[in-house]
Amino acid sequence: MTFMTNVSGFVPAIAATATLLAAAPDANAEALTLTDIAGREVTLTEAPNKIILGEGRMMYSIAAISEGNPFEKVVGWKDDLILYDPDAFRKFEAAFPQDAERMINFGNPYAGDFSIEAVLEADADLVLLDVGNLFKAEETGLIEKLGKAGVPVVFVDFRRNATENTVPSLLILGRLLGEEQGALEFVDFYIAEMRKVTNVVDQIPAEERPLVVVENAAGWQNDFCCWSFGPYNYGRFVELAGGTNYASKLANAYSIDISMEGIIEADPDHIIGTGANWAEAKPEVTSTLLGYEGDPAVNAEKIDALAMRPGFRDLRAVQDGKYHSIYHQFYNSPYHFIAVQQIAKWLYPDDFADLDPQDTFDRMHAKFMPYDNSGQFWLSASAPAN
Amino acid sequence: MPTDTTPPLTAQGIVTAYRRRSGRRVALVALAALALFTTVVIDVITGPADLSFWRVAHVIVNPSVATTKEEVIIWDLRLPVALMAVVVGAMLGAAGAEMQTILNNPLADPFTLGLSSAASFGAALAIVSGLSVIPGVGGLFVTVNAFVVSMLASLALFAFTRLRGVTPEAMILVGIAMLFTFNALLAFLQYGASELQLAQLIFWQLGSLARATWEKVGICMIVLAVVMPYFLSRSWALTALRMGEDKAAALGVNVSLLRLMVLAGVSLLSAVAVSFVGAIAFVGLVGPHIARMIVGEDQRGFLPLSALAGALILSGTSIASKAITPGIVYPIGMITSLIGIPFFVSLILSQRKRHWQ
Repeated sequence: MTFMTNVSGFVPAIAATATLLAAAPDANAEALTLTDIAGREVTLTEAPNKIILGEGRMMYSIAAISEGNPFEKVVGWKDDLILYDPDAFRKFEAAFPQDAERMINFGNPYAGDFSIEAVLEADADLVLLDVGNLFKAEETGLIEKLGKAGVPVVFVDFRRNATENTVPSLLILGRLLGEEQGALEFVDFYIAEMRKVTNVVDQIPAEERPLVVVENAAGWQNDFCCWSFGPYNYGRFVELAGGTNYASKLANAYSIDISMEGIIEADPDHIIGTGANWAEAKPEVTSTLLGYEGDPAVNAEKIDALAMRPGFRDLRAVQDGKYHSIYHQFYNSPYHFIAVQQIAKWLYPDDFADLDPQDTFDRMHAKFMPYDNSGQFWLSASAPAN
Repeated sequence: MPTDTTPPLTAQGIVTAYRRRSGRRVALVALAALALFTTVVIDVITGPADLSFWRVAHVIVNPSVATTKEEVIIWDLRLPVALMAVVVGAMLGAAGAEMQTILNNPLADPFTLGLSSAASFGAALAIVSGLSVIPGVGGLFVTVNAFVVSMLASLALFAFTRLRGVTPEAMILVGIAMLFTFNALLAFLQYGASELQLAQLIFWQLGSLARATWEKVGICMIVLAVVMPYFLSRSWALTALRMGEDKAAALGVNVSLLRLMVLAGVSLLSAVAVSFVGAIAFVGLVGPHIARMIVGEDQRGFLPLSALAGALILSGTSIASKAITPGIVYPIGMITSLIGIPFFVSLILSQRKRHWQ
């Protein structure tokens, strides 16, 4: 059953790959018609050159598939990358200082400050939006207004249904940016690395799968536990890595607020919290500051403090040293296979003794990214001394 | 006070009738307190973890018998939430009751007068822009912001009452204007918010008991212990005020001073309550109406019963919010209305006479 689900996620991707290979169009020369992740058919009269990103974090994908300068066709973005993953932003800034400087901050596409005038002023010819905001974009009339102004909108998705939509989203970006080759290569890498985990865990029967509680943005707020994911995003990553995601059993929703008492009663085998370098935008967070500038000594202290929070400290998972923390932004990037690999390694250390997610991530950077890997992206709390 | 009761003729008769009314009032308050006690007990024994009534009672009476798990669940998680529901409900009920009294308007409550939205805006300011109204309060700055902005809103309302010739109706309108102003400002902040900030904001706007701690329960109890005795000590004057400003003045009540002092108390109650649990509509509005329909306008019964009714609504909500899907936390603000409305409507329908005179 699980195997079937996994396969079905890849079928459209493989089909799309085949279509692309067969057609092999010269994208820069003529009109381009494609179906975006929202299921909308979009026609562009010519290949876009001045693209606005509804989220700065779309650069994770664009950089991964671009052969040269990933900023080449981008005129502006939202400043979420700067605010919530400053480590990655500084990587981009170091590699492409002029381009990072040049980026116009269009703000939140759904806010008043993302004005159609500013889009026209920047002479933009494409706006890329995140499918999680499809409803808002329709409701506020953003798509319609941009359409009237002659600026097409294309939806991609690396978050809402991350594991299903990443491959088609990459293919769409490849076509839009004229980087089909890079997109295909990355897709191959993605499938190969995902398979390293799913091929093994598909054999594991449901009743033998460890129970995992995902804590979304652990330490973001100090007085409330917990935000979690249903069978989406990190919840789905856990399932693909061979775990049973606790919140998936409660509701079929993207985001679920779970109670501390429920966690205590469920007595999970593992707890996985997400963290990123939020401290610059939000100094009061107690999260692990994972990312390209992650400092193992700092994070070791932070994760132990998280594991020792009231309610958590007596959990079996914490006592056994199975409180983990992982880079939050994998949840909105095409390289979430790294998360899947690392989670699988946590859940089944013996089965995946030979799998080295750090090596996968390093290879990925060497092959696809415009900068080198660095920092720290995951760690586990130390088991209490007693 | 209902005017259609036939006055007894003899002095003895008057005394008997008075005693009967007082006795009935005390009995009703005691009954409500008993009902509240029952809901608190139910609140504490329900939850995702399956703990029996006796076991919970045992752990509460003698904490040393508890396993670590039971201790955390009962002492750190369930009891603070259950008690927070009671104290916050009582604060909102009492605040609503006195607001309706001094403004002489059945629609007045901390929510409709914008104090809750002010608190939400203060919290949003902290959550979205990281702006602390009072520097150096550390991790508490969301709560402190909410409290300060809410108190500022009360002060504005306060200052307005000092203006010459301002009627209670005008004050209500100013309150409603504030409600819309703060809601607009809040919407403005929401536009710029990230996904996580939005999730945090929604919990603020819909209210949540999940952040309850013993410290917060303690602070609420202290505020209640300060404000309630003052309200009760002024109950004859407040009752007189409900008969009309002129009549109260004729009885020797300094009406504008009374309004000012009571408004200060109401502001404190509601600002503290909303800064801990977020905006919870309905409780401050309906609690007093339920009390009024049961005991009438005499503050000696009306005030305690309003507080108890508010506490009952919120305590019931706390139970219901856990029962929907065990393990999932729902914002309570959206459930308060669903719990309180059927009861409220049935009271309105069963009441023959007009309950607001």
